[in-house]
Amino acid sequence: MTISPTPKRAYDLNFARYVYENIDGGERLRMCMQCGACSGSCPIGKQMDHGPRKLFMMIRAGMKEAVLTSNTIWNCVSCYNCVVRCPRKVPITYILHDLAYLAVQEGYEPAKKADNARFAKAFWWSAAKYGRTDERLVTGKYYFSFGIGEGIKRGLGNQAIALNMIKTKRMHLGMPHAIKAKDELQKILAKAAEIQERHGKGA
Amino acid sequence: MSDKPKSQTVLVVGGGIGGISAALEAAECGSEVVLIEKAPTLGGRVAALNRYFPKMCHPTCGLEINYQRIKKNPRIKVFTMAEVSGISGAAGDYTVTVTTTPRFVTPACTACGDCATAATSEVADPFNYNLSKVKAAYLPHSMAFPMRYIVDASVVGTPEGQAIKAACKVGAVDLDEKSDSFTLSVGAVVWATGWRPYDPNKLTMYRYDEIADVITNVEMERLASHDGPTHGKVLRPSNGEAPKKVALIQCAGSRDLNHLAYCSRICCLASMKHAAYVREQYPEAEVDIYYIDIRAHDKLEAFYRKAKADQGIRWIKSKPSRIEKGPNGEPVVCGENTLSRDVYANAYDLVVLATGMQASAQPPAGAEMDEYGFVVSEEGVFGAGVATGPLDVSMSVQSATAAALRAVQAVRS
Repeated sequence: MTISPTPKRAYDLNFARYVYENIDGGERLRMCMQCGACSGSCPIGKQMDHGPRKLFMMIRAGMKEAVLTSNTIWNCVSCYNCVVRCPRKVPITYILHDLAYLAVQEGYEPAKKADNARFAKAFWWSAAKYGRTDERLVTGKYYFSFGIGEGIKRGLGNQAIALNMIKTKRMHLGMPHAIKAKDELQKILAKAAEIQERHGKGA
Repeated sequence: MSDKPKSQTVLVVGGGIGGISAALEAAECGSEVVLIEKAPTLGGRVAALNRYFPKMCHPTCGLEINYQRIKKNPRIKVFTMAEVSGISGAAGDYTVTVTTTPRFVTPACTACGDCATAATSEVADPFNYNLSKVKAAYLPHSMAFPMRYIVDASVVGTPEGQAIKAACKVGAVDLDEKSDSFTLSVGAVVWATGWRPYDPNKLTMYRYDEIADVITNVEMERLASHDGPTHGKVLRPSNGEAPKKVALIQCAGSRDLNHLAYCSRICCLASMKHAAYVREQYPEAEVDIYYIDIRAHDKLEAFYRKAKADQGIRWIKSKPSRIEKGPNGEPVVCGENTLSRDVYANAYDLVVLATGMQASAQPPAGAEMDEYGFVVSEEGVFGAGVATGPLDVSMSVQSATAAALRAVQAVRS
């Protein structure tokens, strides 16, 4: 699904405009002065292919494809070092996360494969369904997102940890924990989705 | 103004290069001028500089000429260790209350130095930004104006204070001096209250307080000055050795919405000057300048080009994100080179933070200020020099001359 405009020529500013207007924190992206304090602050800055500073310049240059397939948007660990140090108060973490979400919505390959996207989906599934996260359900859902064979392999690989967690009462056996008024939660979530829809951000 | 001003006197607040210039220009135009200064000597921040950019001449030279002009001009009254504590009235008719701090030394002082010899205790030397200590009876610095000693309040009422008093052959030590206040009637006020360096401890990522070899640009000026704590040698504060690798970090606080939102204008050139200090003293030393953009406007471009031609100076386009402590306690500058996209961690012997300029004094209620605390001129009250915003010395003098002209016009109309 294409949500953001795909640049058709060099120096097409439509993608940058979309980011300024629709991505969480994007309105402050205009303020970026390319000082590099963000990429230098990042604890895993070396693992990122571009780092936030360069990624922001790529947005301005209209390099939509390269931005949404970048590993930078998936490597952010939300430590907020860059956000507190940014001299222009750009909420870098929000922007990276919302770009990652856009990459998922638009179905880019790296987004489909990204570990964090799989985990986030499993986490959300449990949280939305039960109102709480259950270790077994979240990890199970996450492991089996790689396929049945891989899911069993990963599950068995973590058996020792799971047994120790049960022993020290960090993980319980039995029915998953759930909140009392699950239907109330569903109503809240439906309302949130409706508000989001009204703001034109897609599903 | 509709009425004729009641007082033709111009009050200049602040005795730095801006205030001195404004006072002289107004007095030489025929106005009566009162110049008040908070510190024991005139000269302000400029007196604490080693050399000026771009000509690399010594500020003492220009200050000395100005002191001669003040001495020769009967229309200027100078009060040191004095501050404005209140101001009322309107343009043409202000009543200003001035409060003085005791100096414990009268104008009879001949600056012979016997009191300093008699003093046994030492106090932090504000002129050297507390990098060194000075005897409790001291001359503020070798180019002080007035050329008069000061006795630190800490020895008043002690046997040491009595010994200092007894040592003075001309009886100039007065330990009974009290804080005083008086009022002035003036027609116009020039605020030339100058600036202070931005507090480096607020830049927590640069760990100024934890790493001895991280210093500020104003401290660098003192290290390079012959009358500074190291007698003009740029040395590492941690071990007193000569630095072989020096980093100069631009925009330490400036152009940063978390600190000073504006560009302090002087730091780029000041850092190039610091690079020159290091390269002159240690031809083998390497200097790295970390910058966001170099701002060397109009005539200063030539100085920048000269620095660019020096092979010993490396230019790294990056705002360093943090300074870490290396295995031997040395500063390690970390960040991203924005031209090469390299994430670096470079160790240095000395790191100089180009801390920005912040407005110095809070003008008393009534004076208008912009959102950053700099003075906005209005009828009868004029800003001069860095009190109005970051300026270098020559621009401060221009600004002060303009303020003097406006003040003179205001008291004569």
